[in-house]
Amino acid sequence: MQSYEIPVGPLHVSLEEPMYFRISVEGETVTGLEVTAGHVHRGIEYLTTKRNIYQNLALTERVCSLCSNSHPQTYCMALEDIAQIAVPERALYLRAIADEIKRVASHMFNVAILAHIVGFESLFMHVMEAREIMQDTKETVFGNRMDIAANVIGGVKYDISRETSAYILHQLDRLEPILREQIRPIYATNRSITARTKGIGVIGLDHCIDYGLMGPVARGAGHGYDVRLAAPYGIYPQLDFEAVSYPDGDVWSRAMVRLDEALVAISLIRQCLAKLPEGPLSVGPLPHIPAGEAVAKTEAPRGELIYYLKTNGTDTPERLKWRVPSYMNWDVLQVMMDRARISDIPMIVNSIDPCISCTER
Amino acid sequence: MMAFLKILLDNLRKGPATEAFPFGEAPTPPAYRGKVAFDADTCTGCKMCEHVCAGGAIRFAEDDDGLHFLIWHNTCISCGLCEYYCPTKAITLTNNWHLAHPQSEKYTQIDHGTVAQCRCTECGTAFLPAIPALMDLAYRGQNDRTKALAGMCPDCRRRATLSGARS
Repeated sequence: MQSYEIPVGPLHVSLEEPMYFRISVEGETVTGLEVTAGHVHRGIEYLTTKRNIYQNLALTERVCSLCSNSHPQTYCMALEDIAQIAVPERALYLRAIADEIKRVASHMFNVAILAHIVGFESLFMHVMEAREIMQDTKETVFGNRMDIAANVIGGVKYDISRETSAYILHQLDRLEPILREQIRPIYATNRSITARTKGIGVIGLDHCIDYGLMGPVARGAGHGYDVRLAAPYGIYPQLDFEAVSYPDGDVWSRAMVRLDEALVAISLIRQCLAKLPEGPLSVGPLPHIPAGEAVAKTEAPRGELIYYLKTNGTDTPERLKWRVPSYMNWDVLQVMMDRARISDIPMIVNSIDPCISCTER
Repeated sequence: MMAFLKILLDNLRKGPATEAFPFGEAPTPPAYRGKVAFDADTCTGCKMCEHVCAGGAIRFAEDDDGLHFLIWHNTCISCGLCEYYCPTKAITLTNNWHLAHPQSEKYTQIDHGTVAQCRCTECGTAFLPAIPALMDLAYRGQNDRTKALAGMCPDCRRRATLSGARS
């Protein structure tokens, strides 16, 4: 059989983000993969050292849209570690609520795109419409559909009144039945979905360790690592939940992990709203940040997000660096795509939920 | 497949999920972060909004007329940091999201406000006054003495405070 090399990307492989692969094929079968990265490098890490710590709250939020709350939150956690700030309990609850609302929307977006790639457009529309419930919630509670601007140094800058709390619960009551009784069963059993996703892009538990995989990609292959449980931060130790894990390591398992995690996130939001204590929202507007360095990590929708921050006593960071889960998850594509069919390439790429704008920043 | 047909029928019965805008009103929640509004009367001139503005949309300039506040809406990212860090909430984010304009007008999407200077009651020097909102914040209410001192320039205020301590 004749061998070819085909270029895939840089535009519209599965998402509207630039990914560029050189794929070796034999007939219809993928035999090799080379990733060409760097199409959306904007130099944001460097830019953060040219902006002050307050401006960086907005800048880190704009690294990526789907995990836009995880970046400023982790950045704030690093600053608070350096300044030895104890964030008020109410603020920690509000941070968890913001993060979990974003997680529901992010996971639903990814599984919707899966349906789009399968060609099941009506399901894609249905999931995106259900996701609008979460988008409306964000707009109503935070004032924007994507960049929710919840975090400030030492706390949060939004509050939840009794009416807002009732509104969020009402929205969750609308979304949860759709997600639990309609969307999840379709992904679990519908032949159009399972025929294209089961047994596709398979990785094993050993790959998770070898490649340092994170998030739903690792949890879809039986590696139940979740930062919220493994290295608890914020208010998560006081919440009741378990890491979602599926054993098979295929595209379908990763989608199911995301759907189940969206349901877990809904339960976490409910727990936070029920327990939400009274108290201040932050430690005050202008905490002093001394010279120092810190590492903070959180569970972003795509997996473990690590921030390293070095300050020098001024209000401009000396160095800010982050590592995003997509960096490792990207590398394992060569395992997932080995012996795969050409038609499954977009499906496999989407299944790692790559965030190129985070990875290449 | 039958399960999904039922969903399709239900969705069909519900009608369009999109908003009727521009033929109808699009709902805007009160918390919506839209176009920035500035109130010169309550601005203290601390310039914190300029400092925290991530997009560099806010600029201050000072001349004989007073302190000039300038915002270029095209580079504002509606993050709300200016509002959060403003001690008197002189700068706020409104619910107005009607910001569409022709390309030719992009450099004129600017709002300008002037914090007027006042004359010192003692020597007549022009200076930026401490606004009542700031005085309330600093002293938790005012009395006649703080009101009289607030009308003086920093030099005269220093002299008056010192003489007050002597008497």
